[in-house]
Amino acid sequence: MIRLLSSNIISPLAYNTGDNYRAVKSGKSAIAQYCNWNGIPDTFAGSMFTPQQLDELKIDGYTRFEYVAIRSIEEALSGTEIDVTSSRTVLILSTTKGDVEELSSNLSSDGAYLSPGAAAKKIAAYFGMKSEPVVCCNACISGVSAQVLADRLISCGYYDNAIVCGTDCSSPFVISGFLCFKSLSAEACRPFDIERLGLNLGEAAATMVFTRDDGKSKAWRLVCGSLDNDAHHVSAPSPNGAGALKVIERTMEGHDIESLAFVNVHGTATMFNDQMESKAIQAAGLSDVPLTALKGWYGHTLGASGVLETILSMASVEDGCILPVRGFSNIGVSGKVNIGTSLRKTDKNAFLKIISGFGGCNGAVLYTREPCEEKSVQLNEPEVLHKVILTSDSLSIDGETIPVAAKGKELLTEIYKTHIGDYPKFYKMDMFSRLVFLASELLILREDKSDGAMEHSVVLFNRTSSIVTDRKHIATIEDPKGFFPSPSVFLYTLPNIVTGEIAIKHGYTGETSLYILEDKNIEIMAAIVKSSFAMSESRLMITGWADCSAEDTFEAELCLLRK
Amino acid sequence: MEELIQTLKEQIIDALNLEEITPEDIDNDAPLFGDGLGLDSIDALELIVILDRFYGIKLANPAEGKEIFKNINTIADYISKNRTK
Repeated sequence: MIRLLSSNIISPLAYNTGDNYRAVKSGKSAIAQYCNWNGIPDTFAGSMFTPQQLDELKIDGYTRFEYVAIRSIEEALSGTEIDVTSSRTVLILSTTKGDVEELSSNLSSDGAYLSPGAAAKKIAAYFGMKSEPVVCCNACISGVSAQVLADRLISCGYYDNAIVCGTDCSSPFVISGFLCFKSLSAEACRPFDIERLGLNLGEAAATMVFTRDDGKSKAWRLVCGSLDNDAHHVSAPSPNGAGALKVIERTMEGHDIESLAFVNVHGTATMFNDQMESKAIQAAGLSDVPLTALKGWYGHTLGASGVLETILSMASVEDGCILPVRGFSNIGVSGKVNIGTSLRKTDKNAFLKIISGFGGCNGAVLYTREPCEEKSVQLNEPEVLHKVILTSDSLSIDGETIPVAAKGKELLTEIYKTHIGDYPKFYKMDMFSRLVFLASELLILREDKSDGAMEHSVVLFNRTSSIVTDRKHIATIEDPKGFFPSPSVFLYTLPNIVTGEIAIKHGYTGETSLYILEDKNIEIMAAIVKSSFAMSESRLMITGWADCSAEDTFEAELCLLRK
Repeated sequence: MEELIQTLKEQIIDALNLEEITPEDIDNDAPLFGDGLGLDSIDALELIVILDRFYGIKLANPAEGKEIFKNINTIADYISKNRTK
């Protein structure tokens, strides 16, 4: 079990947790309308740092993404006495796109771009940290994934302390992508409202510092966390909220609903998300528990949102308050939910945070300030059932070399046609997804399915994120006269999408996660895999390293593991 | 119209990565979504980009696409009436 030592939020509203909470409580929001912003032809609303704020936060030699994260970690650490230089303290960075605004469509003109793993290393080095940082890159749920990972790694004994930092910055890259998805509102967002028109993007960094806990002291502790996939669609949640419902049920198992001050939902103010969450909340029996949603103040801060919203939920419980849903006036969802338009009081000491994201992933975490019992955790060595190694010019399955004729991109098409076939979606995937999809399919073909249905999870590790597709997306927005961002390209700039592709094809409803590491560090990969088996329901896992650094340069080494 | 339909089919095949399909495989009256070509919500958004990029038509509300994107004929008809380039 883990407990919170300290936290920080750096947002356009304020630079620490207390000031952020007070600003929100007094009704302040930094959401404003932007016209012709940085070459974006459409009007949109968002919550962004002002140039003056960026000047205040700036650190020479670091990109905006890096210095905003560093400022947040620095302030959070100032309230603790943990030894950050110990190899027992780990940095878990939660981000969807990291330094992407420094990237160019052209290899030779990148700015200060670092892959997310390298940026995490640079941030860790700023604090003199010695352990290898881990980046959680699970689209919108990254911030909750990172908390779940911190709990697993500490509870399983791999580390004593974890710094979880969620950071994302608004850039033409991200804004153009959400625009072509038609999911941005030109006005301040209205979660759960009948007239909601979409989300606002926001930028922020939020940090939580955790340490091992025995459950006895009066402190915020993570009681339970759960991740899953709804296996429905890579860019739309299951309409009945099946994935969100399952993580709520697993997280709340054995815990009293009456103890909850509120449920803090994702509440992006898109038609699909809010409707789906209302169905899941009703089905979970949480209709009478007050619902809070914070996007009306900060917009959707992407990789930061899960962390930021958890911290702000803690601050409001400490203050005995349930925040209203800013932007909400008339109910616009069919599931029964309990939403307030003004501040309400509570004397309860626990809350549930839920979140959902592209790729079909869902997450939930339960926090309480009451003492609670620590569960014992059993670590086991998983059994390797099958192994596939697929590179730009070779294929081997379970140690046997399979002859191939083509190379690079054509090799993947050859393998698809020879071994898989009849799945036209393959051609819609980007190169990284094709690579992972094929390696997984080859494993699944060999799986002995006689044991009946068992929960499968997909846990990937990677270095260069989705860099090939990132450059492709940039090429569609660089020229103001040829500004035509493509939704099907932008989708794959989230490297976790392929985990959803696999889940959808096979109906896998276990955890689907993607972690970015600067180096293929076998020890950390093993710790993440073993702790996931130990602290989730999954019995089988497709996992391993997969990286695609250029259209014709890739490697995947994936295994099918059994608990 | 014939020429527009042929060009449109090529643009759709290219933008939607319909790798194993040729313009001749797409029936002008067959539904594009659901059965037919089995297109989904992301493909619908991609069709909106095609209208904007090649024909100068801006669809602000994706819901408008539902009627327009029924089949190739309905798209071609809409383009011919509303194109600005």
